[in-house]
Amino acid sequence: MSRKVAVVGAGQTKCGRRNDVTYIELIHEAVKAAFEDANLSIKDVDVVVEGTMPAPMEGTNAPHLWHVEGAAAQNKPLIRVATCGSTGMSIAHCGYYLVASGLYDIALVIGSEKMYEGVGLTSQAVMSTVADATYERPFIGGAPPAFALQCIRYIHERNFPLEKAAEWAAMVSVRNHEAALDNPYAHIKMKITVDDVLKSRIISYPVRLLDVCPISDGACAVIFASEEKAKKITDTPAWIKGVGYCGDDSMFVDKSLVEWQSCILAVRKAYWRAGIENPLKQIDVAELYNPFTYQELLYYELFGFCGRGEAGKLVEEGIIAKDGEIAVDPSGGVLCTNPIGASGLQRVAESAHQIMGKAGKRQVSNVNVAIAHAMGGSIQFNGIMILSRDKP
Amino acid sequence: MKTKKVAIVGVAQTECKEKIPEYTAKELLYLTVKKLLNQLNITRQEIDFIISSSSDYWDGRGCSNVYTYDGEGAVLKEESKVEEDSAQAVAYAYARLQAEYYNTALVVSHTKVSITPSIESLTHVMSDVVYSRMFGIDELAVAAMQAALYMHKYGVTEEQISKVSVKNLGNALNNPYAHRKMKLKVEDVLQSPILAPPLRKLHCRPSSDGACAIMLASEEVAKKFTDTPVWIKGLGFCNGRHYLGEKDLIDVEALKIAAQAAYKMAGIENPLKQIGVAEICEPYASQELLWYEGLGFCGKGEGKKLIDEGITEMNGELPVNPSGGVLSTNPQVARGLIRVAEAALQVMGNAEKRQVSNVNTALAHSTHGLGGQLHTVIILGR
Amino acid sequence: MSEKKIGTVKQTIALPYEWSMGETATKWFEELKKGKIMGTYCEGCGRVLVPARKFCPRCFIETTKWVQVSDKGVIETFTILTYEYPMQPKKPPYGVAGIKLDGADVAFLHFLGGIDFSNLEEAVKKIRIGMRVQAVWKPPEKREGNIFDIEYFKPIE
Repeated sequence: MSRKVAVVGAGQTKCGRRNDVTYIELIHEAVKAAFEDANLSIKDVDVVVEGTMPAPMEGTNAPHLWHVEGAAAQNKPLIRVATCGSTGMSIAHCGYYLVASGLYDIALVIGSEKMYEGVGLTSQAVMSTVADATYERPFIGGAPPAFALQCIRYIHERNFPLEKAAEWAAMVSVRNHEAALDNPYAHIKMKITVDDVLKSRIISYPVRLLDVCPISDGACAVIFASEEKAKKITDTPAWIKGVGYCGDDSMFVDKSLVEWQSCILAVRKAYWRAGIENPLKQIDVAELYNPFTYQELLYYELFGFCGRGEAGKLVEEGIIAKDGEIAVDPSGGVLCTNPIGASGLQRVAESAHQIMGKAGKRQVSNVNVAIAHAMGGSIQFNGIMILSRDKP
Repeated sequence: MKTKKVAIVGVAQTECKEKIPEYTAKELLYLTVKKLLNQLNITRQEIDFIISSSSDYWDGRGCSNVYTYDGEGAVLKEESKVEEDSAQAVAYAYARLQAEYYNTALVVSHTKVSITPSIESLTHVMSDVVYSRMFGIDELAVAAMQAALYMHKYGVTEEQISKVSVKNLGNALNNPYAHRKMKLKVEDVLQSPILAPPLRKLHCRPSSDGACAIMLASEEVAKKFTDTPVWIKGLGFCNGRHYLGEKDLIDVEALKIAAQAAYKMAGIENPLKQIGVAEICEPYASQELLWYEGLGFCGKGEGKKLIDEGITEMNGELPVNPSGGVLSTNPQVARGLIRVAEAALQVMGNAEKRQVSNVNTALAHSTHGLGGQLHTVIILGR
Repeated sequence: MSEKKIGTVKQTIALPYEWSMGETATKWFEELKKGKIMGTYCEGCGRVLVPARKFCPRCFIETTKWVQVSDKGVIETFTILTYEYPMQPKKPPYGVAGIKLDGADVAFLHFLGGIDFSNLEEAVKKIRIGMRVQAVWKPPEKREGNIFDIEYFKPIE
């Protein structure tokens, strides 16, 4: 690392349908919460990094220029980074690298989305434009069918009986939705059963309503600081140990969806840079980007928590439960809360708070190392940030 | 902590046109990146990471880099996208290159304005929906209001504004990559149709298709690629205010802050003396004069003096936009990166017919947003 | 607790775009109109890419040859959409699949058809990954040189 960097504070808004506030007010809510968390104010911020899903989703071009007041970015350096679903992680990376470089000491990173301002399923229509109109757009109707293609291929390549895979996926749904009950910011929180999931209607075969994330409004702000500043701001900084990112081909199905190269390579890079050789032993909390239950299972395998085809075992034996060997998504993850531009950053905020001991009811005990992850694009991007209590 | 020096070791541009239908955005990027790789005699394996710059509204697709990813050379590599301003992408790449595991970076940008409904409609939707959008303003309308205020406050004339168009569109005649190139007199500009008073057609940017790619390398490896690395000596970017009623349209505070940050890093105290050439982003001719002031080339209200005295002409003390600038070539998002590329070519001594003599230090500037809300300044040197 | 009504502002943003297909896709659709599915060959990795690509995303070199591939192939993956959203090409439910045609090295997206999707349970019984499918073409006089010159792919077993 060129300069050590830590997360010194984070803030989130309550997520869900937020038609009580304007977009700017929503962002301000998260920024205010982050400032309170870190005991900092607007004058402490050296640079602001902002990101959201496609600007057309909310109907304003170059939205970072509009969000300025809520984002504490008047007369300040401001940069907008956007990489589809992985935006939340890409902006975290940007904030991290800007501070690590020595150019800025404190970076305020803000991810947000106000999806309900796109009436009805405008968000899915905008997402369908991610697919190129020449060859693919008519066949990709937003996120559910795209990732359903991956989910069903996963089941096939592992030779899982469909009912068994659906049951494991349902268990993932049950666990996350229940965990979200402890998360004051989460959108969909409820105690459900495997049966509830298996009876919910099919959205895009084989993925059911309760296998899939909601549409959420929400914002998240995370403050990155240099080592020197971090020490003065908090006694419990969450240090960035390593980051990694990788992207696959642009077309949806001309790559392996299961031996998913972008995920495998991003993980490999992040682990190598952070000195992780035995993830199950070395990582305490994994905030994975899980908009789809089946996808979470695939991640266990690609992140090295288990071998290929063993994901079901992890679920059945509670290895990835809150009190298990590695707590996966104690926040309830993206499955319960998905303000897309913020979702990847929320994984960082949750990871940081787990390390800082500020995760409230969702606190896992003895968290030394946490991994945050985000995913997006045409089954394409994976980004990772590994944080630790100990300075690297 | 020692700062790694970072250099630009190669640049490639497309010949910008009003329309490039032969190639999709993805293919256009591929051709530009490939041109650069061939120039440097390397493959994309030598690139540690890529920063792309494009925007969804300008591309007519959500998550613009999802589609262009292959053409950027980014498949199975680390990449990130900076929206709206490709000069900022250079600043981000510079910061990222400070990490010890990175030595090279590719920065790419494109826009094909020809596929969009128009610059007017896409900048119209930049305006705030609650208080401003219903008045139908767009980037041109705001620039016009800005120009009107500028003329009113400092006595800047139509002729002085038009001189910028004459200069830049004339300079573009020397630039094989420029789109709009014209030999004009001030009268020609003043006879072009009024679009929004006081701005006329020849005071305003065209719509262009184009792409640009730049290779960055750290000190350690720069000499592997070129004998004339162009070092990034300073950079800064800053955002101003959004709401039109709240801001003074001719207040260039954000530009000043960006420029000051860049100058401080580069050790520049007297820009007029220490900078050999400047490539600045002037979608509207009046803005070039205003930016002179924000960049510290002159005092408040004195931009008109610089153009009158020929200081920013090709043979002046500080030539501005030998490439023709944005008035000649406007592939919207890529225009910032093109300024950096052109400034780099000047320092390399590779600017051919548009070469300014003895350039040690060059300035590249980019701006986006209504009235020029966010500015980026990069200083390059030998 | 009474809920205060918060005002809203509405705007339907309809922005027309017209993207150039580029030379490569233009040629691909010309061939498609004639009833031929073409792929482009990459010398670097030896893959035949369908639909046609000007360059290979992995090797980053221009593809060199155009080869015709079969209009029959194998389902690599599929899904059935059940919900509606604006700008949708078809009214749900409908099936979409990644299909690897005989002669191609990568899959591409298209509709599945010849199956009644209204009964989801019955429909999925008729589809499986690895199943062979065949393109159902629009009659030549109705083809327009776009992706719908093939109406859909139907199972052939």
